[in-house]
Amino acid sequence: MDTVHFVIDKPQRWDSSFDPEMSEGAVNRLLGIRPFSEMDVTKFSKRTPLRGILKNDTRIRRFKNGEIIVRAGDYGSSAYLVLSGHARVVLNPGLPASMLGRRKSQRKGLFEIVAQLWTNPRDPEVRTQAELVQDTGVKARSSTKGAGVFLQDVPRILDEHKTAMMSAGDFFGEIAALSRTTRTATIFAVGNETELLEIRWQGLRDLLRFDDHLRHHIDRIYRERTLATHLREIPIFKKLNDEQLKRVIEQTQFGTYGDYDWSGDYKRLAKEGRHTPEKETIIAQEGDYPNGVVLIRSGFARLSQKFGHGHRTLNYLGAGCEFGLREIAHNWRQRTDAVPFQQTLRVIGYTHVIVVPTPVMEEVVLPTVPEGDLPALFTPGELAETEISDTTRKLDAGAKIGPELMEFLTENRYFNGTSSMVIDLERCTRCDDCVRACATTNEGNPRFLRHGQISGRIMVANSCMHCADPVCLIGCPTGAIHRGQVGGEVLVNQATCIGCSICSNNCPYEAIRMVEIREEDGAFMVDKDMKPIVKATKCDKCSDQIGGPACERSCPHGALKRMDMNNLDAFARWLHR
Amino acid sequence: MKGFVRRRLLWVGLLVAATVSVVSVFPVWAGATTRAAYLTGWLLFGLMVLLTGYNWFKKIPYLPLGRSELWLQFHIYAGLFTGVLFFLHVGGRWPTGWFELGLTILYAIVMASGVLGIFISRGWPKRLTARSGEVPFERIPVIRRELRERAEALALSTVPEAKSATVAEFYLRRVHDFFGGPRHFFSHLFEIRLPLNALQNDFTDLKRFLNERERQVAEQLVALVRQKDSLDYQHALQLTLRLWLFIHIPITYSLMLWAIAHIVLVYGFSAGAR
Ligand code: SF4
Ligand code: SF4
Ligand code: SF4
Repeated sequence: MDTVHFVIDKPQRWDSSFDPEMSEGAVNRLLGIRPFSEMDVTKFSKRTPLRGILKNDTRIRRFKNGEIIVRAGDYGSSAYLVLSGHARVVLNPGLPASMLGRRKSQRKGLFEIVAQLWTNPRDPEVRTQAELVQDTGVKARSSTKGAGVFLQDVPRILDEHKTAMMSAGDFFGEIAALSRTTRTATIFAVGNETELLEIRWQGLRDLLRFDDHLRHHIDRIYRERTLATHLREIPIFKKLNDEQLKRVIEQTQFGTYGDYDWSGDYKRLAKEGRHTPEKETIIAQEGDYPNGVVLIRSGFARLSQKFGHGHRTLNYLGAGCEFGLREIAHNWRQRTDAVPFQQTLRVIGYTHVIVVPTPVMEEVVLPTVPEGDLPALFTPGELAETEISDTTRKLDAGAKIGPELMEFLTENRYFNGTSSMVIDLERCTRCDDCVRACATTNEGNPRFLRHGQISGRIMVANSCMHCADPVCLIGCPTGAIHRGQVGGEVLVNQATCIGCSICSNNCPYEAIRMVEIREEDGAFMVDKDMKPIVKATKCDKCSDQIGGPACERSCPHGALKRMDMNNLDAFARWLHR
Repeated sequence: MKGFVRRRLLWVGLLVAATVSVVSVFPVWAGATTRAAYLTGWLLFGLMVLLTGYNWFKKIPYLPLGRSELWLQFHIYAGLFTGVLFFLHVGGRWPTGWFELGLTILYAIVMASGVLGIFISRGWPKRLTARSGEVPFERIPVIRRELRERAEALALSTVPEAKSATVAEFYLRRVHDFFGGPRHFFSHLFEIRLPLNALQNDFTDLKRFLNERERQVAEQLVALVRQKDSLDYQHALQLTLRLWLFIHIPITYSLMLWAIAHIVLVYGFSAGAR
């Protein structure tokens, strides 16, 4: 007799639980604790019940005294709920970089630069004692249970820095997790009994979707703490007084589009030989009524315009860019002659946006903007598509670098690079001077491959691009991979890197290599189990060298350039040099 | 005006200005002193030391000594300027004696290889890019081996599948050697497609004797032959782009040694020693 199986349609993301060891007992315990005990389970969908979320998207973590839970400046994809014990948040000014398991930017002095003539080791990947010594204020430890960074002198920190206590029931880290922005403060455990519930962002997103209370709570925090600061930085909102800003903040909507884990998705597609997912979600569509100004807070969006029967990419917009302001400002001044959105905005991978609705713009914001600061009106010629305005021309990077190159950069997500290595193949003699220079400057091994995707005469080499959205930073257990304080470059602190490969697996551009390191006499370093010590290595933009990137300086033919792909004007100038 | 054109005009202008100055001042020197050749000789030697220094500069990229691109421009135009100095130094006459002849020949080789280097460095990257199939030089042997293995497996597959050895025999006779290593080096350098066309024509002739399955295999083999030909093209051009330096640099060092010996001899056997 056939047995009938009831197959539960398990959502894909639960194929791999956040913590496979999360027990039913632990879930039952969580269901009895606020805020979960107050949630209405009937409001959750059948595919993602509250119990399922707690079982698959959360894990319980215990922290020891002084252990850092989140670090200011890190990217994280989880939020935390204090279950028991205490944690302290360090208020402004935060802890110095050396206390967070990072290195202060250390540019070599002239003597050290010259001394490299005789101090550079003969063997590759040699690490000196000085490089591996951890800063005295902090210690990175790894064990079978995971790795962590510990503050060494908690009483002194409490003495010297302003901190605030967090106790059972307090929630933190949700804004950075949802908006993919950096953590704004460092939080560390106090006492050895700190127990936290870590909720990965997918779970957090669903909790917000089905629980009004939590959504309102986070909504309020976001508006109070983040929106005000963010809006104040945008020129058009600068003239608002506190009362007006409050009104704008109340009416502002925000949303996250696309997949937070776009990099994993992109990596998969790239392996299959495709780059663009079939469908890119539309945020705002050409021809539609402009219902609000879209401000991009993180991630990227594609700006396109109808062209013949298809769409032509004009540019891509990243954090800090706006969409729709010109249309709304035009309609506000020319009420009888309203125009719809003139372009389409689509999500590439992942985008977090803020939308200021048109009525608020018209009633509160635009009246405060001096006439001269408003965007130009659309001319009849522009609307009839017989002429192109300066504003559109400026925006239309596709016209400057060519549509194929534009598509190539967009499809491969190269706009993410603030310092991408581009090579002009019509000038590159394939001499490898750049590779040798990189190896000589960096422990005997080049930090990039002079190979990569090609479009026409342009190659984007496999080198760290020092991304605007550095996904390699997500999940580093010790914070060893971090942004430098001066140039924003992404660096690995060799002292606190525990060789776990999380960053290397996360990087969608294959820019991080794990290497076995050596002692100064050339012997491989091993741990107490005689296993080789492995460290993450990548291009550090030669941030410790006075002259800047050695690869670029050493190219005899000016074929190699480090370029900010968010500045396509500079790229176009270099192309047509 | 584009940046590269502007730069070239600037350097050419400097070269012309330096040449005109030296050529017009030289007769005055020559008239005023009997030792004008010493002056041009030392100028020439000093410049040659600087030019040789470019090779050392490349070995210490961490020192903030400026961009290699600028150094190369200096290297090229100063190198050309040594031609003017050399001419003035030897007084426009053919060298006498084996020592001077040796020095002149070495100088000529360095100069000629340098000019060839400029020529191919400027022109050949465009050829490589236009032909596509970009590949790092050190990966070429690996890719070539993969192609050969695929071609051999394909050719052999027809024996059991089509129950005929025609393709396999043709492969052994005509194609096997082609996949064995880099081929048609000079044809590629001079953009001559004859060897590839001949091989493709032989495939076309062969197809008359093949059944459907064998024809499919032959088509796939032709595709592999084209890939291998592209690889050989990359190999030939990339190798030459590297090889000219293997002439230019060692001969430069020989020239320097010879020039030092020349200076010692001149000072040893002339009044200039005092
Ligand atoms: S140094 Fe310049 S010319 Fe040489 S391989 Fe690198 S990019 Fe190409
Ligand atoms: S390692 Fe990868 S993800 Fe990280 S900044 Fe570099 S290219 Fe971007
Ligand atoms: S910037 Fe420095 S570390 Fe990065 S690839 Fe260039 S030479 Fe190497």
